[in-house]
Amino acid sequence: MGTQLPEGFSELEQWVDDWALPTRAERYRARLDRPYDDVVAFYDGMAPHAERAIAYLDGLDINDLGAEDKRLMHLLCSMILVSYAVNIFKQNRIPDSGAAFFEMVAEPAL
Amino acid sequence: MTSIQAKLATGRGKFTTDYPDLGTGPVNYEDSISEEFFAAERKAVFERSWLCVGRMERLSRKGSYFTRELPGRLASIVITRDLDDNVYAFHNVCAHRGNKVVWQEHPQQESAGSCRAFACKYHGWRYGLDGVVNHITNEEEFFDLDKSKLRMPPVHCEVWAGFIFINLAAGASGATGESSVPVPLRTFLGEGLLGIEAYPFHLMTQHYGFSTQIKGNWKLAVDSVCEWYHPPYVHGRFIDPDVSKAEKMVPPVDSYHYDLFRPHMLTSVPGPPILPPRAPGSAGEPRQDQRWIYKLFRAGLFGPDDVPDIGPMPDFLNRGDIASWGNDQFWVFPNISIQIWARNYYITYTYWPQTVDTHIYEIDLYFVPPANAHERLAQEVVVDSTIEFAMQDVNTIEATHSALKTRAQNTFHLSDQELLIRQFHTVIRDTVAAYQSGEDRES
Repeated sequence: MGTQLPEGFSELEQWVDDWALPTRAERYRARLDRPYDDVVAFYDGMAPHAERAIAYLDGLDINDLGAEDKRLMHLLCSMILVSYAVNIFKQNRIPDSGAAFFEMVAEPAL
Repeated sequence: MTSIQAKLATGRGKFTTDYPDLGTGPVNYEDSISEEFFAAERKAVFERSWLCVGRMERLSRKGSYFTRELPGRLASIVITRDLDDNVYAFHNVCAHRGNKVVWQEHPQQESAGSCRAFACKYHGWRYGLDGVVNHITNEEEFFDLDKSKLRMPPVHCEVWAGFIFINLAAGASGATGESSVPVPLRTFLGEGLLGIEAYPFHLMTQHYGFSTQIKGNWKLAVDSVCEWYHPPYVHGRFIDPDVSKAEKMVPPVDSYHYDLFRPHMLTSVPGPPILPPRAPGSAGEPRQDQRWIYKLFRAGLFGPDDVPDIGPMPDFLNRGDIASWGNDQFWVFPNISIQIWARNYYITYTYWPQTVDTHIYEIDLYFVPPANAHERLAQEVVVDSTIEFAMQDVNTIEATHSALKTRAQNTFHLSDQELLIRQFHTVIRDTVAAYQSGEDRES
């Protein structure tokens, strides 16, 4: 595995392939499709580094992020998206949500 | 009463009794399950009311356009901005042989872009940005064409506070046939809503849009977000997995504000206080606890904790002066709610009936563009929280609709905090009745 993230975040490289996904639709699909234990492992793997990652990214121009920086942003976005599953529902899906699913029709670029 | 509840309580009495015309009796929901009512409602409400079809940001420059396929085959329209910045809406139908003029790849999908003229893909007729024909292929081969009257049929269109409204009533200027000009949009909105235009919507261009089909009548979906009775049950896990604790966390019923200005209405909602600024590195040990996530990213369901500056708050917000104000939800009759949040962003919820049993539900969130990574991530938390809550509401609507359809029960009971539901169904029924009796029909 090469370095796909900014320097100083090598601990998070292992999550890039599965979770550094550029659209919310892909991130939500990953939350639903990955085994629940993987979702929890990802959350637990991200959590100790998240505050440092936010501080690092805050030092950059949000409208001119490099490819490595965008991957780090996408990992944090995935962490947010799985946090409800891990912290509230204890399962991938929202309980009682049945087949309900929202299509994303507009999403700001990063 | 818990300390949160004691802090927010006002001791105000009931709201419903302020509106004696609405009564306090039980209601039935035949209006949400009857095929016959649905057909009448479509004519009386959706073919005659101002309907919001999008924001002006979608027409970002001269020559911009977008199409809308309004669900339930209500209409297929094109909305444009011409070179003089006039905004037009017209039906997406060629005057030659009825082909859909503006589409890309898939005729049923919406499209958007920028151009100087629309060319029909069938025989090359061209239309200006005002929908008027400006080129007919081999024009001399036709018989007695009056080119000045050929156009894509116009639709009434007005813009207010950056929201584009259309009205499908027959007889827009230039159309043939009898005219039935609707009341001007501003008259329709009235004093209860016009004050919203002081709000700086134009600063909030960071847009997230969602859409879903719900297997339930559209009015039941409106009902589900008109009251604050359901959160400890539908959304209990977000508040506290123990329902008895969740019940104690929600604000007391008299801490909300309701205002009815027919046909529109307003509910104001209290919200949690903003988290104090946090020193770098002080988010604390990671935990599997959503409160830690909210602290880490400095945001939650009620918005970001680092609130962008958009100038002073317009007077018309929080007009009921509730404590710890969270948001105002303005219901613009018949099918859109504009929810303005204390933390300087807004959400619109739009409901488009397809059949008596299904509708399309659109949620659009708008923020001030983030200045840095943590503001962007905070917005992601707000978006994701909103959608997690909405997903729970969606399935409840499907459950309600399927149960109502059995007609095993026909009378239902509304409490004081369900006042807006009582008003909403009353206005819809009255509108349908007026149309059917011809009172509202003018030449």
